[in-house]
Amino acid sequence: MSFLDSLFDQAGETAGRFLEADVRLGVTGLRRAGKTVFTTAVVDNLLRAGRLPFLDVVASGRFQAARLRPQPDADVPRFAFEEHLATITAAQPDWPEPTTGISQLRLAIRYRPNSALRRTLQSVATVNLDIVDYPGEWLLDLPMLRQSFAEWSALSLELAARSPRDALSVDWRGWLSAIDPAGPDEEEEARRGAALYTEYLHACRRAESFLSIIQPGRFVEPGDLKDAPLLTFCPLPGERRGRGTLWALMESRYEAYKSSVVRRFFAEHFARLNRQVVLIDVLGALNAGVSGLGDMKRALEMSLEPFRHGSSGWLDWLFGSKIDRVLFAATKADHIASSQHPNLKGILDSLVAEARRTIRFEGAQVETMALASLKCTETVVTEHEGRTLRCIQGVPVGRDRPTVLYPGEIPDGADAMTVARNRSYRFMPFRPPADAGRDGRGLPHVRLDQALQFLLGDYLE
Amino acid sequence: MEWIPPMELDPARAVPAPRVPEPAPPPPPFEAEPDAAMPEAEFIPPVAGPAPRSPLLRWLVGAVALLILVAVGFDTADLMNRAFATSMALGVVVALVAGVAGITTIALLLRELRSLKRLRRIEELRGESRKLSHTMELGRADRFAGALTRLYTDRPDLELDLARLKDVVTDAHDDAEVVRLIDREVLTGLDRRAYQTVLRASRDTALATALSPAALLDIAVVLWRNLRLVREIATLYGARPGYVGSLRLLRRMLGNIAVAGVTESAHHVAVDALGGSLAAAISTRVGQGVINGLLTARIGLAAMHTCRPVPFTPDTRPSLGRIRAELLSLPKQVL
Ligand SMILES: Nc1nc2c(ncn2[C@@H]2O[C@H](COP(=O)(O)OP(=O)(O)OP(=O)(O)O)[C@@H](O)[C@H]2O)c(=O)[nH]1
Ligand SMILES: [Mg+2]
Repeated sequence: MSFLDSLFDQAGETAGRFLEADVRLGVTGLRRAGKTVFTTAVVDNLLRAGRLPFLDVVASGRFQAARLRPQPDADVPRFAFEEHLATITAAQPDWPEPTTGISQLRLAIRYRPNSALRRTLQSVATVNLDIVDYPGEWLLDLPMLRQSFAEWSALSLELAARSPRDALSVDWRGWLSAIDPAGPDEEEEARRGAALYTEYLHACRRAESFLSIIQPGRFVEPGDLKDAPLLTFCPLPGERRGRGTLWALMESRYEAYKSSVVRRFFAEHFARLNRQVVLIDVLGALNAGVSGLGDMKRALEMSLEPFRHGSSGWLDWLFGSKIDRVLFAATKADHIASSQHPNLKGILDSLVAEARRTIRFEGAQVETMALASLKCTETVVTEHEGRTLRCIQGVPVGRDRPTVLYPGEIPDGADAMTVARNRSYRFMPFRPPADAGRDGRGLPHVRLDQALQFLLGDYLE
Repeated sequence: MEWIPPMELDPARAVPAPRVPEPAPPPPPFEAEPDAAMPEAEFIPPVAGPAPRSPLLRWLVGAVALLILVAVGFDTADLMNRAFATSMALGVVVALVAGVAGITTIALLLRELRSLKRLRRIEELRGESRKLSHTMELGRADRFAGALTRLYTDRPDLELDLARLKDVVTDAHDDAEVVRLIDREVLTGLDRRAYQTVLRASRDTALATALSPAALLDIAVVLWRNLRLVREIATLYGARPGYVGSLRLLRRMLGNIAVAGVTESAHHVAVDALGGSLAAAISTRVGQGVINGLLTARIGLAAMHTCRPVPFTPDTRPSLGRIRAELLSLPKQVL
C-alpha cells in the first residue's frame, strides 16, 4: 500500500496541482433507494477499474489510478467504505445497515488528459470526487424549507387521514382531537404529541405497503439529535394561534428545526454539488402496488422541486448551486431479467417526466437509466408450460439456495400507474453474490460505468 | 400480452441466457429478414453494395471463360502430344509443368473464393451491426459477437482483445451495448493500427512523388502503394482479400468515398495543400507530392470505412487532420 501510495503521490507532485478539479457528486434518493450500496460500488469500481468498459477514461487507457484521500470537511464522519465493502464481500455476504447519519468520502482519480494541448501543460491530471451519504429520510425535509408551519400541518394532516395511513395514525389523531391547539404551551403535552407522531412515522416506515413520504426525517433518523427539544413538535390542525399557546410552541420549534437542522444540512452538503444522481427504487414501489407507487411519485416530486436548476429554482437562489448534469436511475435492475430493462427505463421516464422537463429547461443535461450497483442475479431462460420465460437466478435474502424467479413482466411503453394497477409483482431481495469482488476487478454491476460516464466523463477528458 | 403471474421455478431446469462466443452457424444474409421492430426513418441504406450486374453480361463472361478454358485445354493437349512425339523426356516435363499450372490455378481460385467469402461476411456484419445499434433488444448481438469472434479466431494479435471482450460482456447488456463494446474493445485497437498504416502510406506516396525523377515512375509507385495500402487495411480488419476481392473492394470503396464523406473535390485537396503552406506552392513537385499523399490518405480512410465490421460512429470516425498536418510539414523537411 505505502509503495503504491507514494508512487501515486510522486506522480501528483511532479504533475503539480494546477490541473486539479473537484467534483461534488450528490447521491440523492429516498430511503432504501440504494444510496449506500451505490456509493460503495462506485468507489470500489473506480479503485479497481476492472469493470468499466463504458467509462471512456478507462476504456481508452488514460486512467492511471484512484486512491482514497482525506476528505475536505473535517467535521463530517468518513463514509465507512471499508466496512460496507467487507459486509458485501464477506463469506456470508450481507447488505449494509440502513444509514443513520451523514458521512463523506473523497476519491482522487489520476488520469492522462485526452487533448494534446492539456497534455503539454500537464501530463497527469487529477479529479477529486467527493461523495456524501446520508439517510434517505432526510431528503424529504427539503420541501419543508418553503412551507410555513400551518401549510405543512395542513398537508400532513390530510395525508394522515387518507388510506393506507389512516389506520397507522389512529392514536396520534385521537390525541389531536382531544387537545386544544389554543391551550397553554405545556411541555408535557408537546412531548406526548411528538412521541405519538413519531410512532406513526415509524409505523409508516414499517408498513407493508411501501410508503415514501415520512416527514420530518429526523424524527425517524435523528442522527446526532436524539431526544433534542428540536424534535418535539407535530402538525396541528386549525389556523395560527397567539402567544403562549401550544400552537405557538410547536410553530417555534418547527421554525427552529427548519433553520438549524434542514437549512444547515442542505447548505453544507447540497449547495456545492456539481453533479446529481437521483436513485429511485421503482421496483420496490411496483411491488407495493398503486398506493406505493403513488406515494413514491409524490415524494419524488416533493424532493425534486427544490432542485430546479438555474434561475427560478429556489434552492439555487438560496444556496447558489450549480448542478449541470442530473441522472435519474432506477436502481436494483438486477431484480428483473435483462430483457426487461428497457421497460423499466420506460416506467422511470414516465415517473420523472415532469422533473426532467423542468431541469432540462433550466439548461442542465438529464439522463435516465436502469442500473444495479451490485449485480446479484443472472438472467436465465427456462421452460414453463410450453413457454420460454426469461427469469433471474440468485440467492434470496434469508435463504441458502439459489432460486429461479419469474417476477412478472413489465409492459413496454406504459405509464407507471397503469402498470401498477391490477398487477401483482414479486421482486425479491437477493443476497450479494457469494464471489463478489473476488476477481479483483471491482464489484459486478449493471450500467454503473455508463452512469459514471454521464456523471463524470467530461471531467475526465 | 398475456399476464403470467409471478412464480418461482426449478433452478435445475434453467439455462443461462446465451452470451459470447456461441457456436451457432453464421448469420443468414441480413437483407432477407423482415424486421418490423425497425422504424422506417431509422433505416440507413447499406453503403454502396455491389452494383447490380445484367444477366446478359454474366452469360457473356461465363461463355467467354468457358471458351478460353476449352481452347487452353486443346492447346495443352496438342502441345503435350507434340512433345511426346519429339521425345519421351520432353513429354514428361511438359506434362508435369501443365499439371503444376493446373493445380496452382485451382488453388488460387479456391483462395480467391475463400477470401471473397470473408469479405462478404464482413459486409453482412456491417449490415447486422447497423441494425443492432438501434435496438434495445437482446439475443441477436450474441450471434453477431459469435460471428465476429470466428472471423478473428486465427489472429494472435487480437487474442487479448477478444478475451477482454468476453470478460466485459455480461448477460445484462442489450444488443446495442454489445455492439458498442465490440467496437470499443476490439475495433478501436485495429483502427489505431489502420490509421498508422494510412499515415505511413500517404507519407510514402508524398515522398515518392516529390523525389521521383520521372513523372511516369511516380504514377506507377503511387498506384502500387495505394493498392498495397487497401490490401493491408482489409487484411487488418480480417478481410484478407485476394485479387478479385481487392478489385471488388476498390469498386465498393469508390461508392463509399462519397457516402462516408471522406473525400472532397480535387479542388479542395489542392486548397488543403496550398492554403496550408506557402512552401508547397513554391515547389510544384513537392506540392504534387502533398496532393498525392492526401489522395492516398483519403483512399486509406475509405478502405477503413469499407472494411470495418461495425460502421464508424461520428465519435470514432477517423479524421484526415493528423495526416494533413504531417503531410503539410513535409515540404519544410524536404526543402
Ligand atoms: N439486488 C440489488 N439490491 C440492491 C442494490 N442496491 C441496493 N439494494 C437493496 O436495497 C437495500 C437498500 O440499499 P442501501 O444502499 O442501504 O439504501 P440507502 O439508500 O442507503 O438507504 P438508507 O440508508 O436507509 O437511506 C439493500 O439492503 C439491498 O437489499 C442492487 O444494486 N441490487
Ligand atoms: Mg444508506
